[in-house]
Amino acid sequence: MRRVVVVGNGMVGSRFVEELVRRDPDVAVTVLGAEEYEPYNRVLLSEVVAGTVELASLTLAGPPVGGVRVRAGALVTAIDRERRTVATADGPMVGYDTLVLATGARAVEPEIPGLRRAGEPARGPSSLVAGVHPLRTLDDAREIVAATLNARDAVVLGGGVLGLEVACGLVRRGLRVTVVHRGTHVMERHLDEAAGGAVAHALDRLGIRRLAGLGVSSALVADGRLRGLLLSDGEAVAADLLVLAAGTVPETGLAAACGLAVDRGIVVDRQARTSDPDVHAIGDCAQPPEGGHGLLAQGWDQARRLAEHLAGGTRDADANAEHEAPVVDVLRVKAQGLDVITMGVSGAGGDGRRAVRLSDPGAGRHVEVVVEGGVVVGATCVGAGPVAADLTSAYTRRTPAPLDPAHLLLRPARGGGAPEQGGSPLLMPDRATVCRCNGVTKGDLVASWQTGARSVADVARTTRATTGCGGCEDAVCGLLEWLGRSDPSPPGGQPSLARRPAVPGARTGSTRPGA
Amino acid sequence: MSAAAVSAATHCPYCALQCAMTLGPPDDDALAAGAPVAVAGRDFPTNRGGLCQKGWTSGQVLRASDRLTTPLLRGPDGELRPATWDEALGMVADRVREIQARHGREAVAVFGGGGLTNEKAYALGKFARVGLRTPFIDYNGRFCMASAAAGANRAFGVDRGLPFPLADLGGAQAVLLLGSNLAETMPPSGAHLAGARASGGLVVVDPRRTPPAALADDGAGVHLQPAPGTDVGVLLALAHVLWAGGLADSRYLASRTTGAREVRSSVSAWWPERAEQVCGVPAADLRAVARLLAAASPARGGRGAYVLTGRGVEQSAQGTATVSAAINLALALGLPGRVGSGYGAITGQGNGQGGREHGQKADQLPGARRIDDPAARAHVASVWGVDPGDLPGPGVPAVELLRRCGTADGPRALLVHGSNLVVSAPDALRVRERLAALDLLVVCDVVPSETALLADVVLPVTQWAEEEGTMTSLEGRVLRRRQALPAPQGVRTELEVLHDLAALLGVPTGFPVDPAEVFDELARASAGGVADYSGLSHARLDADHRGLFWPCPATPAGSEQHPGTPRLFLERFPTPDGRARLVVVEPDSPSDGLRPDAPVHLITGRVLQHYQSGAQTRRVPALAAAQPEPFVELHPLLADLVGVADGELVQVASARGEAMAVAHVTPSARLDTVFMPFHWAGPGSVNRLTLDTTDPVSGMPDLKLCAVARRPAPPSAEQPADDEPVDDAAAAGRGPR
Repeated sequence: MRRVVVVGNGMVGSRFVEELVRRDPDVAVTVLGAEEYEPYNRVLLSEVVAGTVELASLTLAGPPVGGVRVRAGALVTAIDRERRTVATADGPMVGYDTLVLATGARAVEPEIPGLRRAGEPARGPSSLVAGVHPLRTLDDAREIVAATLNARDAVVLGGGVLGLEVACGLVRRGLRVTVVHRGTHVMERHLDEAAGGAVAHALDRLGIRRLAGLGVSSALVADGRLRGLLLSDGEAVAADLLVLAAGTVPETGLAAACGLAVDRGIVVDRQARTSDPDVHAIGDCAQPPEGGHGLLAQGWDQARRLAEHLAGGTRDADANAEHEAPVVDVLRVKAQGLDVITMGVSGAGGDGRRAVRLSDPGAGRHVEVVVEGGVVVGATCVGAGPVAADLTSAYTRRTPAPLDPAHLLLRPARGGGAPEQGGSPLLMPDRATVCRCNGVTKGDLVASWQTGARSVADVARTTRATTGCGGCEDAVCGLLEWLGRSDPSPPGGQPSLARRPAVPGARTGSTRPGA
Repeated sequence: MSAAAVSAATHCPYCALQCAMTLGPPDDDALAAGAPVAVAGRDFPTNRGGLCQKGWTSGQVLRASDRLTTPLLRGPDGELRPATWDEALGMVADRVREIQARHGREAVAVFGGGGLTNEKAYALGKFARVGLRTPFIDYNGRFCMASAAAGANRAFGVDRGLPFPLADLGGAQAVLLLGSNLAETMPPSGAHLAGARASGGLVVVDPRRTPPAALADDGAGVHLQPAPGTDVGVLLALAHVLWAGGLADSRYLASRTTGAREVRSSVSAWWPERAEQVCGVPAADLRAVARLLAAASPARGGRGAYVLTGRGVEQSAQGTATVSAAINLALALGLPGRVGSGYGAITGQGNGQGGREHGQKADQLPGARRIDDPAARAHVASVWGVDPGDLPGPGVPAVELLRRCGTADGPRALLVHGSNLVVSAPDALRVRERLAALDLLVVCDVVPSETALLADVVLPVTQWAEEEGTMTSLEGRVLRRRQALPAPQGVRTELEVLHDLAALLGVPTGFPVDPAEVFDELARASAGGVADYSGLSHARLDADHRGLFWPCPATPAGSEQHPGTPRLFLERFPTPDGRARLVVVEPDSPSDGLRPDAPVHLITGRVLQHYQSGAQTRRVPALAAAQPEPFVELHPLLADLVGVADGELVQVASARGEAMAVAHVTPSARLDTVFMPFHWAGPGSVNRLTLDTTDPVSGMPDLKLCAVARRPAPPSAEQPADDEPVDDAAAAGRGPR
């Protein structure tokens, strides 16, 4: 039985195991996870901070029953590629035939004077002064939530997706929040200036202060606790909570130590193979030929493809790799009050790439759609509401774009398919259907009036309008009222607008036949 | 033909709502329309006296101008010619014997229908197992309720479309309606949504802006318009929001269900923003809907909520997964088994419920018993007076059965009852090929349907107002169908046909022709089964004008009769441990994914004026005039791209075939999706395009969704060429699918 060892039990590692065992139940899998927990949904940590998601609901589905052995809290200390073994801090060596590294990434911890407790040079959250937290793990989220109970002034370092999500979450918890970031505008890697301006507008509305183009010079600490920050422009800001959201770096330590090729991440080919063909790397720790986006969709796609490959079904996947490659570069901010989604490319280009945009800075709205070859190849949506969902669908499914891409900037106005009710009966065309159940038009009702029908019951008898679901009764009443007003000499005397009885058993006596 | 009609309290011939109606002697209007009876709505809890246009005009089907009144035999010249009953039945019996002698008993197969009465469905299942002794029987309900049945069985241990009376919906604060266009398919049922609409709680999930979706306008609720084939993602995201926000009914989950922990973990990976990318539904809408449902749930003090599924989400290779996801959501909200809340599947065909309980399914014996369960076999064999060892085992589901027809090892003969399968089955052109490859095709029908016209032997049979029997509605309520007028001369009931054929095949007893007698036997055969009818009889149903809900077991002589069971699960679920089971499901991508050469989704469905393959309704002038022809509904921007205007012909092509129909340009469509109704045969028949991939659990085919290209019809296509024997849209075809 082939032994597959997976280092890392996060969202990508656990997904890989699930995909592999589903395809090949005969493989013996050992999972070594550094954290003590079952795999959990890291994407939702910012919502835990915001208080919108219960911690317990983060737990992801456990490994499939069968030949999977999970060792939680097993810190891998070394890989011996010669002997094909993995050593852990407090357990036996584990032998492998195939090794999969899914070690993920860690938060960047900038070198800021005062950020660490004196005499503790080691990296890692344990050495940070009280009040300073990255947001990468369940424990980080728990600690930030605990810190918000006493903190009043929070600074978020970093204006990327995570930074903005955390900032919005902390504002929800009633803290004063400042976002400090290096770029000229927030989400600089993903948004141009105009889009960034629309985001800034939304942040202003939420009461989140932005300090652009700045770094932190030093942390102001008293009694071992963070009290404030000195910024690169010399301003001092009060801060009893600092969240580090200035990006992540791939966890490559183990790979580098055992001599695998490592650049920014662990270098892999399209099959997720490292420089050692028996060792693979997937997720945030890996650096594939197309570059790592740091997005979960990419990691899950790698997990699926590697599982397919190891289970022996790669030929087709390979052949169709270009055509079938799923779209994995949709970026979305998850935060209440902040609506930002980007995908694909931005801006017009040669060879018929058209970009149309709707710019509405006053409302914090910015929508751009890029079309090439008849399909959407990119979009940016800030404050765009449901349009973003439509554009995502068109982009990921590569469905045909309209001849004029400008139609995609707004949701088409509603209207089709609705029963043609309401409005003035005068403006209603004769062929408009009033009673759908029985196909009765306004013209039919007028004709019925002209032959003497004056009440809903009369109309029901002669046209069967209202005798299906009864939903058109108001419309029929309205029409009769209108006819009563506009017909100078009603032949049947005063119109009777009595509705039919609440229990329409009264109609049972009708002997109206099929016609 | 003009025999006098008597007054009869009966039910509509069409859908599973089975609206109550009274048939009486024809009045002037009826005579003018050529109907031999006058039709009137009758007050009843479901239709409250209402009928739709199909129901009001149903009397005209009784006098279709091409009504079959004599058996037809295909002659050596390939033409169908009138024959006597003796000739026709003799020929069927001879050929069946000959084929079975040569190729074995399994070389003869039976295909039934969800429009047949309980008595006919039961007799047909028995005829297959006892008269023909073949395992190969299945029915068109496989294209209809199979996924709902499989999903309900694995969660609740029983499959009754609505485990509560339909009228209960009226009191609910919220109704989540998935893939059901009930305002067109069973219009009077729409009245029961009024309560939810008044509370702003009608949630409609449909890629099209259907009439029910429009009912959610103006604050009456929400319409979610997901990309076709992504309903599972929507449901998982709704469940995610419940659990993530602490809105699930944890007390109910702990006391009445199993599997909640696993499902909770599995939906952790379906946060709304991820579902938005997969389904195209805004994350904010998913959150709002989940909260709306939670607020209506009993655990949070709401007035109750219902989750309902229809064919739109079930007729898919992931149909069972979708039903399970819907049931999981209902269980997370604590709905099933509570008065005023619940999960239900909206049955389609007139007797779609009863038709699947009495032995037409390949894997079932009467009473919804499993055919591979030795105890069930022993019980049914004792009622039938046969050796359990002589009963065949399970056959194969409908799509597989049709695939095997006329192949070297497959059935050589097929007997079709109550189904126009060359119109209604998926990948219809291939089905036509399979039928053509048979040695013998026998079709019992009312009119010369597209399927009947392919047959070697056509046997003319009675229809609704000409026969007695029972139907089981979408609620599991057993209703009496009553005769209002004599059958035309030359026409026989299917009970008579089966009796005569069985006798000719050497089984002279066991196939009575009196429906009440057949029902009594059915009741005995169902005793102790899940769908227990043993406390029912025609006489008892005649005494109770509201019908009775199964299970309704027999009680010892002299004791009170069982009152029937309007609401299931109030105490426990009929599973081994009495708890409902949550089942982990994951969405799959559609079987027929979009490609550069097929970049648009095609979805299929119904229009108000027609029923199933349209064989009955296309023969009613008022209905044919209102919806005369097949059409392709597409968004104005897509129409613009294709270069087709409203009313022009448009061609739609899939990997299976091509179809051509008139374009209906309307913004009710999604930009990436076209819609076609399936009631027509010929060049506009949408099932030329659909897939016959099937659900791994239920055998349900992918009828609703495929990938297509579309273009304007070539200029030469003014009048689409007709490659089929009959295709006058206003005057052809028949029958429950």
